[in-house]
Amino acid sequence: MPAPVKSKQRVLTIVLTILGCLLITFFGLRAFHAFKKFNGHRPPPGQVETDVELIRDWMTVPFIARMYAVPEKIIFDALEILPRENRDKSLEEINREYYPETDGLAMQIVKAAILAHQPPPKAAPPPAPFPSPTPAAP
Amino acid sequence: MSEYLLTQVINYGAPLLAIIVLIGGLGVPLPCTVLVIAAGAFARQGILPWHTTAILSLVSVVIGDALSYSLGYYSRDLVLRRFSETPRWLQAEQSFQKWGPLSIFFSRFLVTAIALPVNLLSGTSLFPFRKFFAYDFLGETVWIFGYGGLGYLFGSQWELVNEFLSNFGGLVLGVILFFIGIKQGMQWLKKQQRKVTPAG
Repeated sequence: MPAPVKSKQRVLTIVLTILGCLLITFFGLRAFHAFKKFNGHRPPPGQVETDVELIRDWMTVPFIARMYAVPEKIIFDALEILPRENRDKSLEEINREYYPETDGLAMQIVKAAILAHQPPPKAAPPPAPFPSPTPAAP
Repeated sequence: MSEYLLTQVINYGAPLLAIIVLIGGLGVPLPCTVLVIAAGAFARQGILPWHTTAILSLVSVVIGDALSYSLGYYSRDLVLRRFSETPRWLQAEQSFQKWGPLSIFFSRFLVTAIALPVNLLSGTSLFPFRKFFAYDFLGETVWIFGYGGLGYLFGSQWELVNEFLSNFGGLVLGVILFFIGIKQGMQWLKKQQRKVTPAG
């Protein structure tokens, strides 16, 4: 039996294999979790978004207005700010500038304004009347 | 950084996205993949025109890649002064001529972390520019239309698409490293066996 030789190639083999395994485990699990989170809640083509939980800090008011098909004025009015100076600002910037005392207040206001503007969910149609037994013909 | 750029892409549209991917092609670490996926979703919402955005971004990123290729090409003398004629460098050059096309193609969209080294190495190893351009263009087309298309397809769920794809890229990088490690190991074992049973 030859004595084990610690060559550079051997070290490289071990390092690459271990690093590869670690990356596979780490990113594989994360990719799997991301894949599991997919669901079918996106609106079908031609319909507007209704889920206000998808609003993010980086979004601007005109963008949100378009996404949820709500007039910009309603959102600006709810925030009590002028449209002209604030069209390009993200919700985070608006919050920092106009509501510095409360984190996330601008987003809450926008969510509430959109929810208030959305039509109430359609009531489920009443169940079909149970067919009454028809009397047998004499 | 991503959030700031997303806001600006909403405000300034396709031209800004094109500038960002051009700078990304030059090797500046910007969240370009996130922006491309998001741009697809914005196109679905009617915020960005998908055709102009896609074409402008494709042209820009290919220009960025060509510039980083030329950076490698013109710095060849510097690299050769350090490594010229060493067996390692010759081996690297040979293996790049063999594996270059695949590396260029897949590093455009799947393992984007190695895109800049691949561009530089392509230039330094005098990989033919026409071939580089062809594989680069194909790879970037997959990136822009494939990733942007996924953003378009999944609309408001584009953040999940981005999360999945970025982790999938890491997973692929892990698989590549693992197989390179295994290959190195097998070469090392062969060397050891040759030492034990010398030919004669």
